[in-house]
Amino acid sequence: MSATTDDRTTRGTAGPMGGVWIVVADEAWPAALEVARASGGTVTAAVVGPQPLADAVAAAGVPVVWVEPARDTPAEAYAVNLAAQVAAASPDLLVSTGGPAARTLLGAAAAAAGASLVPGVLAVTDGPRWTVRRAVLGGEAIETLTAPAPLALILAADEAADRPAATGVAPGTVAKADTAAAEMVVAGTQPAPPASGIVDARTVVSFGRGVHAKADVALVERLAQALGAEVGCSMPVADDLGWLDRSRYVGRSGQHISPRLYLAVGISGAPQHLEGVRGAKVLAAINNDPKARIFRRADYGAVGDLYEVVPALIAALQQ
Amino acid sequence: MRVVIVYKWARDPGAAAVRADGSVDWRGAKMAAGEDDPAALAAAQRIATASGGELVGLTLGSGDASWALARGVQTACSVTDAPALADNAATAAIIAAAVRHIGDVDVVVIGDAKQDPGVAVAVAGHLRWPALVAVTSATAEDGQVLATRRTPEGTTTVRLGTPVVVGVAAEADVDRVPGMKELLAARKRPLTTLTLAQVGATVGDVESRGSELPPPRATHVFEGSPEQVAGQLVAALRAEGVL
Ligand SMILES: Cc1cc2nc3c(=O)[nH]c(=O)nc-3n(C[C@H](O)[C@H](O)[C@H](O)COP(=O)(O)OP(=O)(O)OC[C@H]3O[C@@H](n4cnc5c(N)ncnc54)[C@H](O)[C@@H]3O)c2cc1C
Repeated sequence: MSATTDDRTTRGTAGPMGGVWIVVADEAWPAALEVARASGGTVTAAVVGPQPLADAVAAAGVPVVWVEPARDTPAEAYAVNLAAQVAAASPDLLVSTGGPAARTLLGAAAAAAGASLVPGVLAVTDGPRWTVRRAVLGGEAIETLTAPAPLALILAADEAADRPAATGVAPGTVAKADTAAAEMVVAGTQPAPPASGIVDARTVVSFGRGVHAKADVALVERLAQALGAEVGCSMPVADDLGWLDRSRYVGRSGQHISPRLYLAVGISGAPQHLEGVRGAKVLAAINNDPKARIFRRADYGAVGDLYEVVPALIAALQQ
Repeated sequence: MRVVIVYKWARDPGAAAVRADGSVDWRGAKMAAGEDDPAALAAAQRIATASGGELVGLTLGSGDASWALARGVQTACSVTDAPALADNAATAAIIAAAVRHIGDVDVVVIGDAKQDPGVAVAVAGHLRWPALVAVTSATAEDGQVLATRRTPEGTTTVRLGTPVVVGVAAEADVDRVPGMKELLAARKRPLTTLTLAQVGATVGDVESRGSELPPPRATHVFEGSPEQVAGQLVAALRAEGVL
């Protein structure tokens, strides 16, 4: 057993900087821990959530200050009071992932600690000032920034990491904090409508406004059949045109899916659309505009008129 | 309730171009409201109306602040010398200082922007108010705010005491372009200009060292006859093992 308070203090002074905190409210925390550990400091976690969440973070060898939310109380209700406790530890660096509750806790802690706050972060290194690399313009450029301590970071949305192996590390202590909640209560939840087939599909063929008439949806469906795929679409196809059910559109406000293959047909590749397919293993696209944005994010692209390429593709698949 | 709608009037990041050396070219980018701002304004209007309250616009920077005034907001303030900052907490500190300057505010509604996910939460932090972000719509009832958002479980409604910060994330483009009459009316509505010194805010100490291109993606784009590109695409997908 080594992750006691004493041990933490020793390692804290030995490291290049002390007092690195991760702020956790959901399962995405391993990415925050990875970036926090790479910064060189000794990590402590503030966790708001059910006990298994606090235990999982502690199992990674991190001492945890844990707040258990009351029934029907969102994690955010504890932000102001938890922030005061985190700020009292004078952290040099605070890290969270981008989920709504996690970053609300982080924003409160950053302000209480008088920290700067940089979003979209990919990595941080220490030195006389912190050096941060972050994604700007939806990842089309990477900016380098420097900032003094204390500094708070929100990770880029697609930063993900596996849970660190719990073997060989002594678990951190879990200290339950008595933190009062703000006036905030869940008044009701309307269950999500039944998921469409695209959510679990291995292959999804999705089409956008490049398909010019409702009758032509049959062409996309034939391609989907040849691929054994489910059919999805961009938001305007479902919302404005009503050619597919709203449960089939992909993107920020639609479905978030992780198929092995996502084939986008006549879709321009708006950032809001692509947010829904970050988890796809292979992204392929057919578009008649060689400059279409989708080609900048696709693994494979076919330039051409979908009315010619799709039939040729069906033929090639049947060979 | 006294509701402040915070909106952005800045160069549209969607229209910025990245040059071959990784630097960002903003010349082609027009000034626009933030992507989430129309949805935030709609929520703020509903909260103000449902509570029989008033709505005040607040923006940063020297640009045209009439966006909200032309969309039904009666008065607005602008902190004209506030620069665009990479530090979301510094931006938030300016907004929080301006909210205190406006005074007696019950609810701050602000776009919960993808590019700047730290602003709404740090505004709350600086005010020491609770916050709920990723909200898609909101209204008021019995002196409280009812905010709705999508969670993995479904659509959840949260009841919030005041004062509170509500961060609204747009689900679609809901902007309503104002007519000539509204644009003319906007010119007559009062716009108070403030400075950083007046609200008592500073701009922080985060420095940019420039930007670069991300590591190149291995994108294969096939061009040629429909049969050629279809054949190449199928071969590539077979090689990937995803067919
Ligand atoms: C707040 C907000 C949230 C949003 N959320 C979502 C979301 O969740 N999901 C979503 O999809 N969108 C969303 N959008 C909308 C998004 O910004 C785009 O407007 C939308 O994704 C565009 O759909 P599209 O690609 O089908 O159409 P377009 O952008 O019109 O693209 C059509 C494409 O088809 C190509 N094309 C045309 N003819 C042919 C042909 N014959 N052969 C081959 N290619 C052809 C064109 O070159 C073009 O690239 C959101 C927008 C906002 C503001």
